[in-house]
Amino acid sequence: MASILDFAAAQKPIYHQERPSKTGLLDWLTTVDHKKIGILYGGAGLFWLMVGGLEALLFRIQLAKPDQHIFIGDTYNGLVTMHATTMVFLAVMPMIAGFSNYFVPLMIGARDVAFPRMNAFSWWTFFAGSLTINASLLFCGAFPAAGWTGYAPLTTSEFSGMPIDFWWAGLTLLAVSSMVAGVNFVVTILNLRAPGMTLMRVPVLAWMMLVIQFLLAFSFPPITVGLILLAFDRTFGTVFYSTNMGGDPHLWQHLFWLFGHPEVYVLILPSMGIVSEILPVFTRRPLFGHHAVIFSGVFIGFVGFGVWGHHMFTAGMGPIADAAFASTTAIVAIPTGVKIFNWLGTLWNSKMTFPTAMLFAISFIPMFTIGGLSGMMHASPPLDLQQHDTYFVVAHFHYVLVGGALQGLFAGFYFYIPKISGKMLDETLGKIHFWVFLVGFNVTFFPMHLLGNHGMPRRIYTYPADAGWNTENLIATGGVFLMTAATLVFVYNLLTSLKNGKDAGSDPWDANTLEWMTTSPPPVHNFDFTPIVLSERPLWDHKYTPGFEIPVPEKAEEIHMPSPSWKPMWVSASAGVIIVGLLTFNGVLGIPGWPLCIVGAVGVILSVYAWVSEPV
Amino acid sequence: MSNALRLFQKRLPSLVLFPLLAGLAAACNEAHPRDAYQNPAADASEISAWFYNTYLVLDSVVLFIVLAALVVALIKFRKKPGDDTLPEQSFGDPRLEIAWTIVPTLVVLGITVPTLGGLFELAKRPDVNQKIVDIDVTGKQWWWELDYKKEGINTANEMHVEVGTQVMLHLTSADVIHAWWVPRLSGKRDATPGRNYPLNFRPKEVGSFDGQCAELCGASHALMGIRIIVHPKDGPDSYDNWVKRVKEAAAKPTTPEQEAGQKVFMNKGCVACHTIVGVSELAAGARSRTSGPNLTHVGSRDYIAAHTLKNSPENIATWVKNPQAVKPGALMSNLGLTDQEAKDVAAFLTSLK
Repeated sequence: MASILDFAAAQKPIYHQERPSKTGLLDWLTTVDHKKIGILYGGAGLFWLMVGGLEALLFRIQLAKPDQHIFIGDTYNGLVTMHATTMVFLAVMPMIAGFSNYFVPLMIGARDVAFPRMNAFSWWTFFAGSLTINASLLFCGAFPAAGWTGYAPLTTSEFSGMPIDFWWAGLTLLAVSSMVAGVNFVVTILNLRAPGMTLMRVPVLAWMMLVIQFLLAFSFPPITVGLILLAFDRTFGTVFYSTNMGGDPHLWQHLFWLFGHPEVYVLILPSMGIVSEILPVFTRRPLFGHHAVIFSGVFIGFVGFGVWGHHMFTAGMGPIADAAFASTTAIVAIPTGVKIFNWLGTLWNSKMTFPTAMLFAISFIPMFTIGGLSGMMHASPPLDLQQHDTYFVVAHFHYVLVGGALQGLFAGFYFYIPKISGKMLDETLGKIHFWVFLVGFNVTFFPMHLLGNHGMPRRIYTYPADAGWNTENLIATGGVFLMTAATLVFVYNLLTSLKNGKDAGSDPWDANTLEWMTTSPPPVHNFDFTPIVLSERPLWDHKYTPGFEIPVPEKAEEIHMPSPSWKPMWVSASAGVIIVGLLTFNGVLGIPGWPLCIVGAVGVILSVYAWVSEPV
Repeated sequence: MSNALRLFQKRLPSLVLFPLLAGLAAACNEAHPRDAYQNPAADASEISAWFYNTYLVLDSVVLFIVLAALVVALIKFRKKPGDDTLPEQSFGDPRLEIAWTIVPTLVVLGITVPTLGGLFELAKRPDVNQKIVDIDVTGKQWWWELDYKKEGINTANEMHVEVGTQVMLHLTSADVIHAWWVPRLSGKRDATPGRNYPLNFRPKEVGSFDGQCAELCGASHALMGIRIIVHPKDGPDSYDNWVKRVKEAAAKPTTPEQEAGQKVFMNKGCVACHTIVGVSELAAGARSRTSGPNLTHVGSRDYIAAHTLKNSPENIATWVKNPQAVKPGALMSNLGLTDQEAKDVAAFLTSLK
């Protein structure tokens, strides 16, 4: 085997920066390195995963028995709202952004993303948004309580208080962050691929990331518009969502779900990509139907923009619109089925080994299938009219988002953390994590199908003892404790592995793709030389297919790396000041809002000016 | 890692599986009074039930195929110890790809066509030449106002209809979005402010059917219940008799306690929001989104505070003394009634059969 890594020792490649990177904390504040930003995103995602899980634990305790008075009324609604908002926007999305940041440039053989400072801007804007949403607990002593869907007019100032202001303000910042990241990564994947990496040679995970970046770039504008209209209603007294002045609450639902449904695919496609990367490695075969898996992902992305109305079958859009959305939604089943069958095809005739990453990837398949099949039911309006807003739907989307998206991300953590830290995670702890989580997950969410069938609506803080929902609710609450325990085992495993883990080496799994040909962790410049890609499994073919060795250049190339910069953080902070100004525009909290808006706007202009005139 | 940990890891699946199965068995034994659309009591929910059963069979078949393939693969295609040869390097098979694209497409088509049929069936307007029970339903935080325009009845939360007769609801809301849902009779439909949506069903069974609001509508969303009472066509308990009874004015107080209660009702502020026909009626202009339910025959209801408490003098007293303690955020004012006043009002309201 030709030793790609030996090249570094022989040639000592050096990279050039306009200004050297800082050290310590300052490095993390000013970094534009996609790997460090990826770690920041991933760490933040894990932190908020704990918080969102704690919120779920609290409201499941309230629901364990009928007629309890632990978290009632808007306290309960706040926990539910923040559980969903946190899990979707602050946990799963940043974890995906973490994988996308860290691995997309490595997978396509690039040195960084196309716009490194924009990348840092996305991160800091996300950071500001995540703090803003949660700050309502600090300033108002309450969480926003209108559900993560925030249906107007419940969110208008007539029916809800200050916490909703923090909600729209934070979400607006998150939306800006995601849109910018979407554009950045589309450009990166389309333009920075290594020589020879045609689009069909791009690894499936990077492909799915490409699809979701398009989804982010096109689906976040509608919700941003919706949030700005809401901000105007609440701040300046406009009436976009107030019926008594001629506004229309359905406007919000359309804008929200036009974002909300593509968002579902933003959450699940990366995990499908991770599974598609892991299965081939531990079956030691190529991904079965590689192109079909990619095309079905792209197809899901396109169809995802035409199905939002299936969230509104009960809203009274009329039978014609219902019929159209029912039909488009049913179509989603086809590419999804193609993916599932191709994963099974990959397992067939293979020689499987079962490290934890593989276990999570395999259990993704049946769990996601269950979620997908119950989703088929909701595509049928006559049936959805009964299941909409019940625990059956809660069971459905948790099978998709926990059994699917989160299990896929866990698989990704076990598979990729050795590349990030250079240390292996402990396999015994990993397997305990897997089994306890899988059982806990099913114990929690399977009974919810039954609860929905027995007539329990979602988002209710209490239920009468004679409604017949007692046993399932108690079982479900028990399951949450198992999931909590499993997640704590994972965090313990992760933290201890950083110190005590076995050394991973560059390619611990005998894997297929470019990220495994560089050191773990990779150097700042990722690769000592630009790899030339000859097949869709460049590293595998380098190792196993004679004649497909990745050519090693004669001498070191000149490498230019972007310099650290404070400017992205300045712009984010200034944008945050504008948002806080709008939030306090009516003088609440004793802060005069409009001067803040002016300060923020001037700050944005000045820091953008400094940004563009800064040499990189 | 220690052996104990490994053993724990090995036994783990069975350790948690047995309690799970035991729990599910217990869940199956529990009575489910709201056992929903799988046990339909009206034409609309029969359609939903048919689709549920069809999809359940279809989904089970698909899930069985996927699980069976997965289990076989997991058993058959493991790496044997010491076997370091590579498996066959197959990049896929176009014939298989085409097959598992076309077969799901046909299945999806096969189920979508009847779905659209069911959807249009549910949206069909009822024949207006037949007898129709026509009710305007207004969702309010956190109760339901029911207006029988034709019959001139205004009531709340407990809807009375007739078996075998078409029911046509017109749903709207006075504040935020609510959703009307009584699973055994029909699917849910949003009650949206500024809009008016129809919901049709024809009950086929006599009895009481419970449901509740299904769209998050604020602090007491959980306590916004519904009961539909389906009356027989004739006999003393017939729908027509119910109409006749509720169109009468409220019963006059007969005991001193009830008389005292009526005084409290008139003097302590209850009248500002509540109508009792024959005692005090709110002028049409005085009714707003925050005015409360019509109490003319409140004594004959099964529950108070929108299915939150059983209707009894003790519960009414608890409710009027401190509504917010029963329903968080309730819009009914806490009038600071004394225990005696609350007891009197409860006696008076209970007498309004």
